[in-house]
Amino acid sequence: MKILIIEDEIELLIAISNYLTKEKYICELAEDFRRADEKLSIYEYDLILLDITLPGGNGLELLKRIKKRQIRSGVIIISARNSTDEKITGLDLGADDYLAKPFQLSELNSRIRAVLRRRKFDGSSIINFNEVMVNADSKSVTISGKEITLTKKEFDLLLFFIINKNRVLTKEAIAEHLWEDSIDLSDSYDFIYTHLNNIRRKIKLAGGTDYIKTIYGMGYKFTDK
Amino acid sequence: MKFLTKINRNYLTFFFLILSGVTVGGYFILHVIIIRGAKENLKAKEYLIEQQILRTGEIPNLHPVIEVKEAEDTMIQKPLFKEVEIRNELENENEFFLEYSNKIKINDSYYLIKLRQSAFENEDLVIVLALTLFVLLFGAFIISFFITRKTNKTVWSDFEHNLREIENFSLSGRDDISLVKSGIDEFDSLNRVMADLTRKLKTDYLSLKEFSENASHEIQTPLSIILLNLEELLQHDLDEETFTKVATSVSAVKRLSTLNQSLLLLTKIENRQFAADKTVSLKELVNRKTEEFSTLFESKELKVDVQVEQDFVVRMNEQLAEILINNLFSNSVNHNIKGGSIQVVINKEVFKLCNTAKDNSLTDGNIFNRFTSGKSNSSGLGLAIVKKICDTHNLEIHYLKNELHCFVINQKS
Repeated sequence: MKILIIEDEIELLIAISNYLTKEKYICELAEDFRRADEKLSIYEYDLILLDITLPGGNGLELLKRIKKRQIRSGVIIISARNSTDEKITGLDLGADDYLAKPFQLSELNSRIRAVLRRRKFDGSSIINFNEVMVNADSKSVTISGKEITLTKKEFDLLLFFIINKNRVLTKEAIAEHLWEDSIDLSDSYDFIYTHLNNIRRKIKLAGGTDYIKTIYGMGYKFTDK
Repeated sequence: MKFLTKINRNYLTFFFLILSGVTVGGYFILHVIIIRGAKENLKAKEYLIEQQILRTGEIPNLHPVIEVKEAEDTMIQKPLFKEVEIRNELENENEFFLEYSNKIKINDSYYLIKLRQSAFENEDLVIVLALTLFVLLFGAFIISFFITRKTNKTVWSDFEHNLREIENFSLSGRDDISLVKSGIDEFDSLNRVMADLTRKLKTDYLSLKEFSENASHEIQTPLSIILLNLEELLQHDLDEETFTKVATSVSAVKRLSTLNQSLLLLTKIENRQFAADKTVSLKELVNRKTEEFSTLFESKELKVDVQVEQDFVVRMNEQLAEILINNLFSNSVNHNIKGGSIQVVINKEVFKLCNTAKDNSLTDGNIFNRFTSGKSNSSGLGLAIVKKICDTHNLEIHYLKNELHCFVINQKS
């Protein structure tokens, strides 16, 4: 998978590309409008991460050009403005998703995977982890071929874990993934615990292994190591 | 009261005062003039009678207007005018007369002369004259009243058009204000002032809006870098102490970012950057939110009861309506006790949300203040935002505390 990251903040650009490279994506970087435009006219990408405020031009203008040239890439806007107007404009112009800064890399990964899945670049919407098989299209989960029933939130949570396998996820990252930022949860993270317990119980009941590890009571990791 | 109505009302009041004053005054003046005329007339008659007696020695008598007789005494008497009542046998009623009596000496004999003129005729004349005066004045006033009114209407119509334009002017709208030139200096200079003022307001508003969005951008970007780096740190093999430090830093950064966004949201609401362009049904919204929050309710084992007697419909911004209910629900979950309850009652005019909670010292007076929180680690902005949303949408919100903690929202009357 080839991703073009357009972002003017170098620190951010490097952090994102380091992470995505580790996740086996091929990353190309552009830190201003002109370079981004140039790259887009020469190469083809599966996905574009697009910042709105760029030196030399507006990201939305770039988005218009992408659509005009009929480039098939998926587009995720990453913006610090978190303004509804901008979000609506971006989605209207054909962006696939809108992610407000500051975001966590686990969340970015989950959104990228969702866009690639929707655009069928991945070929398949089935994600395997040992005996656990998640079908993102039909929203079903099987353990060694045996189907288990999860609620919508439980399913989202398990998918988030599997996409970010072997990665430590903080409670904040999980809460935000499940609720976006619409809810001011302050310290009420009890519900994550409730959800996790349900998932663990259902997987175990179907004869699966509990891959969800608690890290010092402050984070979680989905791993078989 | 409308300007023109006020003017017309003043005009009419003065008009009636002046009209009645002039008519009454005119009546008295005419009265005096006519009486004086009558008196002179009587004196002239006296002279004619005197001449006739002198020339012919004939004493004229014509009851009741002329009465002349030879006086028995020679006492000098001054000429005298008075009003007398004399019976008119023809009409069988008493009539008033102006009587002039004098004693004059003609050829060594004294004559007592009484001349009378009907006062009734004089009075009639005065009344007819006064009425004519009244009618003429009234006519003139009415004509001038309608002419003034018509002119005023034409003159003020541009002003009224501009007034409507100013009323409908919206800071967040795209269009500049467009005022009609009326050709009247005072109005045109008012237009100029208004146009300058609105242009200035608009630029200020836009720069403020831009500032709040830029401030958000400037703060969120470094926060993003901190967050991404901390998150990467967490992926290393850390001992518990280090991990805890990094993880708490992550939540602190998240809180800082939420705080920044909440403050920006407050500013945007204050600046009225959200147009109240949707009709929101609180019934539908609450049902949707109850569904969304259901897992949160479950995790705290809360009993939730939503009673809808009648739908509460309010004209507001959709996004803000969501935030309003989100914040109230979050609040009622965050401060609730395990196994507690939440009750929502919706009817046509009142939205009421009550929940069990740990006791606090907050009151209706301070619970909505910024950074006032019953809990140390919540932002203390959630309810401030709720209050601000209510304030800008003509809604009233109150906090009541009895066994339950209740928030009551109703339309401002």
